[in-house]
Amino acid sequence: MGETSNAITVEGLGKKFRLMQDRNWTLKATLLAGHRTRYEEFWALRDVSFEIPTGETFGIVGGNGSGKSTLLKVLAGILRADEGSAVARGRLSALLELGAGFHPELTGRENVYLNGSILGFTSREIRNLFDDIVEFAELEQFIDEPVRNYSSGMYMRLGFSVAIHVEPEILLVDEILAVGDLTFQKRCLDRFARLRDEGRTIVVVSHDLDMIGRLCDSSVWINKGELASVGSSSSVLEDFISHDENSDVNVSDQSHQLRLKPDDLVKSLELVDVNGHSMSSTASGQPALIRVRYDADKAGEPVTVALGLYRADGTHVSSINSGATTSAGNDVGVIEVDYEMSSLPVQSGTYEISIALHSRDMTKVFERHTHLFRFEVDPVAGSHQTGLVALGGNWSAKNVDKGN
Amino acid sequence: MGVPKNKREWLGLIQPDLLMNLTLRDLRSKYKRSVLGWTWSVFNPLVAVVVYSAVFSIFLRIEPSVGDPSGLNSYAVFLLVTLLPWQFHVTSLTEANRSITANSSLVTKIFFPRWVLPTSAVLARFLTLIVEMLVLLVLIALWEGHIAFQWIPVVAALMILQLLFTIGLALMISAANVYFRDIQHFLMVALQPWMFLTPILYPLNLVPADKEFLGISYRTLYQLNPMVSWTKAYRNVLYDLRFPSLERWLAILSATFVVLYLGFKVFNRLEPRMAEEV
Repeated sequence: MGETSNAITVEGLGKKFRLMQDRNWTLKATLLAGHRTRYEEFWALRDVSFEIPTGETFGIVGGNGSGKSTLLKVLAGILRADEGSAVARGRLSALLELGAGFHPELTGRENVYLNGSILGFTSREIRNLFDDIVEFAELEQFIDEPVRNYSSGMYMRLGFSVAIHVEPEILLVDEILAVGDLTFQKRCLDRFARLRDEGRTIVVVSHDLDMIGRLCDSSVWINKGELASVGSSSSVLEDFISHDENSDVNVSDQSHQLRLKPDDLVKSLELVDVNGHSMSSTASGQPALIRVRYDADKAGEPVTVALGLYRADGTHVSSINSGATTSAGNDVGVIEVDYEMSSLPVQSGTYEISIALHSRDMTKVFERHTHLFRFEVDPVAGSHQTGLVALGGNWSAKNVDKGN
Repeated sequence: MGVPKNKREWLGLIQPDLLMNLTLRDLRSKYKRSVLGWTWSVFNPLVAVVVYSAVFSIFLRIEPSVGDPSGLNSYAVFLLVTLLPWQFHVTSLTEANRSITANSSLVTKIFFPRWVLPTSAVLARFLTLIVEMLVLLVLIALWEGHIAFQWIPVVAALMILQLLFTIGLALMISAANVYFRDIQHFLMVALQPWMFLTPILYPLNLVPADKEFLGISYRTLYQLNPMVSWTKAYRNVLYDLRFPSLERWLAILSATFVVLYLGFKVFNRLEPRMAEEV
């Protein structure tokens, strides 16, 4: 053993998938095609090497389809490497999907035992932890109900609670903190912090760069299956973000598609840059404009537009309403309303905009769309800001020593 | 995977708690939200016995062999002592076959030994077989007045060997079914003739020993089917009240261990890509 022990060692890792255009789901086709079943091979990961020292919190970032979830599944042992190796040292637990394997017809209690044993507990160990698991999930009253009667929040809480009580030496987490209400999320984060303080190794895959930056000591950026950057989180995130800005391929195209129906009053909601181009991501402190179009004919009377800005975790950032300024003189046809910000005053993260159209006297709501538009705010490369808002001030210094 | 050295490694290999919890899940969820619940599991053998007795004993006048030395002569008992193990065979294989594909959310999200899925499906069905066989012993005692209870250890041995044999088969087909979904259709097609080529509805001596195919008698060919050995052995013990011959035991033991070994071999071979193919 060396002087430092690594919890995870990845060496020359490669994982390929078969593309299924020609997939033979039948024996007959296989027999007819003989041994030369035709399929395209696709390397989801190739030649990836890095090490995660024991006790470190480690982030994995990358665009959609970059292979970061595949990497996590190989680390978890669910997928087997086709090349190279990924070796984990210590009891490992993967939070890939909360409550995976819950049976809807069984009670919460029965599912705790089932899920626990799938995660590697003996029944005796589960019995000892049972009260803690239920208490953490806050499901004391409902534990003998079938889980099909649970709300999705209750389901997630129970799944998280079982998984976190495994007391893993290595914990793999895939994008799951976006669930549950705020207090529960807070407790999840506390729990992660506790695991970290206890010297456990945590590996996090997330789109929330802000969270990666805050939680992780070091990170790796996987781009199109290859290791693009590894090192301290701040340097990896900087690489990732600057690459992302330069690339024309936008990371998440579905995320900002609107769920509007043709007969809705609201026709569109966009985030627009200084050149009038629509965008799905921007950087903190950049000028930005929120542009709303609505059908004034259908509304039939003057309308007030109210916008709500939320972080993806549900935190309410701000609400604004247009008052009477949204009249274009004669309110017919499609009206375009702009809300202009000279500098976007929020820190990096994922945000959502909700919209409501009211009558002028605010007594009627014509239409409401919650979390209609989602966009990303990237941190400014090299900036040293954290928190919720970007204050946008300037530093200055001068010498005030009188003896000069 | 080497040979386990201590208790902990054995437990890691056999996974008793995981098997038990998955088996309980299968049993508990099976009749949830049905009014008659567990009584359904009795109807299947009951209906089968009535229908088969009517068709084969009354219409086709198949004579059951007379129990030797028990002197029993009852088609219903003759049938039931082999029909229950056969139905275990059929339902375990059908349920185990889809156990991996039906649990794809588990297989793709959690790392755990996958062989426990088909195995627990077979185990769940095995627990019902135990209950059925106990009821059968009581019924035989009531109807025929003969007590088969001293044969329980022998029946238990046969059942355990059949369990292992079925697990071996279940491992093979469930793993193959991940890659070729036609295994489940193949199974439906294969089980039907398999039943008629096993002496469940009729005695073995109806299979001609004096006719030959490629120089081998029909009866010898017929006995290549491993289920013939179990059927004969169950009938020896529960109907004839006789200890099965040494040859039968050897046939049963070798079939069990060959199939179980092949089952794990095939399963381990197919396991690595399961999460991406399922």
